[in-house]
Amino acid sequence: MNIRDNPTLCDKLAAEYVLGTLKGGARRRFESLLRQDAALRRTTTEWQDRLMPMSEFSTSTQPRRQVWQSIERRLGLKRGYAAWQFWRNESLGFWRSLSAASLVLALLLVGVINSSLLDRPQVDYLATLTDDKARTALLLTGDRNRQLLTVRLVDHAPIASDKVLQLWAVPRDGVPRSLGLLPAQGVIELALTDAALGDDVAMLAVSLEPRGGSPSPDGPSGPILYKGNWVRVM
Amino acid sequence: MRFSTRQAVPDSLTPDQEQLRAWLHRASQRDATAFRALYDATSPKLFGFALRILGKRELAEEALQDGFVAIWNGAGTYQGHLAAPMTWMTTIVRNKALDLLRRSGGDAEIDGHVYDSEVMNALQDPRANPIDALLVSRDAKALAYCMSTLEGMHRQVVGLAFFHDLSHSEVAQQMAIPIGTVKTWIRRSLERLKTCLAKGHQP
Repeated sequence: MNIRDNPTLCDKLAAEYVLGTLKGGARRRFESLLRQDAALRRTTTEWQDRLMPMSEFSTSTQPRRQVWQSIERRLGLKRGYAAWQFWRNESLGFWRSLSAASLVLALLLVGVINSSLLDRPQVDYLATLTDDKARTALLLTGDRNRQLLTVRLVDHAPIASDKVLQLWAVPRDGVPRSLGLLPAQGVIELALTDAALGDDVAMLAVSLEPRGGSPSPDGPSGPILYKGNWVRVM
Repeated sequence: MRFSTRQAVPDSLTPDQEQLRAWLHRASQRDATAFRALYDATSPKLFGFALRILGKRELAEEALQDGFVAIWNGAGTYQGHLAAPMTWMTTIVRNKALDLLRRSGGDAEIDGHVYDSEVMNALQDPRANPIDALLVSRDAKALAYCMSTLEGMHRQVVGLAFFHDLSHSEVAQQMAIPIGTVKTWIRRSLERLKTCLAKGHQP
């Protein structure tokens, strides 16, 4: 039977194909027609868009962790670490690249901040986050006594209106912890607590995320734009 | 301005289609991080669905694995202008689940009564029932609304066929009604759903 000249029949068959009630030889014939006929493929896709949301009527259930691990193993994705674990992928050179010059600059900045900008707070932690060309984009200062983390956006590339910058504390072990979303410019003060920025944190990073922040519970979902060491200076 | 240090994790159960599309695109360029994000955002829904089809956790896990392996391998062939990303991924996982269902020799028992009470009743009146609590997408809400306009038996026939991959005659057997009636009900139900969805009803 030639179904191509019969759009009503095409529609009916596509619907029953997607629903699953088209079986056996009729299903196989339909599938071979699908391969040849773009219009039929479009009709079928439309039915998929209509009926597949039925899948959501079942209650969401979190699969066990092993499922992802098996997928990772089967696809060989475990080479190296995830992109956000940049410090693991980079050579020792990265750590050495925190040069004397930048440390001097950092200490100078502490001096400036201590003396003027923040009405003499006790700055005892510091990070300068730089981009991949070592340009400073953000300056962060921590004041343990006042439990205050001050983030200054010095200079960074413009971001699209549907994106946002998200600040992360990167612990030596485990997944990064979100410290909050950053404004497009200016200064923001975040609470500095041991839970978020404890002694296990050696580095801070900023990722580019969809509005609302990373949807992943395991850390950034977007690219890391800026990063820097979180160092005790006092 | 002061923020809490622990930003609440944004709701990842209903990610928007654009985000899914972007992750799929990056996965097609072999970006494992994007693929992981895609998995985290969609696996609870897809796993719940596989579980509904297969009834057994081990089988559903296998279906989810097979599905995501196929999603990674086929991400380059996904045509964003043709199908919504969730539709595309759901179709893949469903096919894997149905393959397993066939291979397991229909081992997964269909419990029509449990099925009725959990899903179909929720569809009778989505406004009064916890369909919202299932965190479904706009598309699913629209479909739930349209299904609620079908007669109860018709709705059940469609649901049985979809979730359990039954043929007309298997549905007829399950519901103890003549096969001709099943065919008519399914045909009419599909027509009505199409018309109803085209109107863009929202509950």
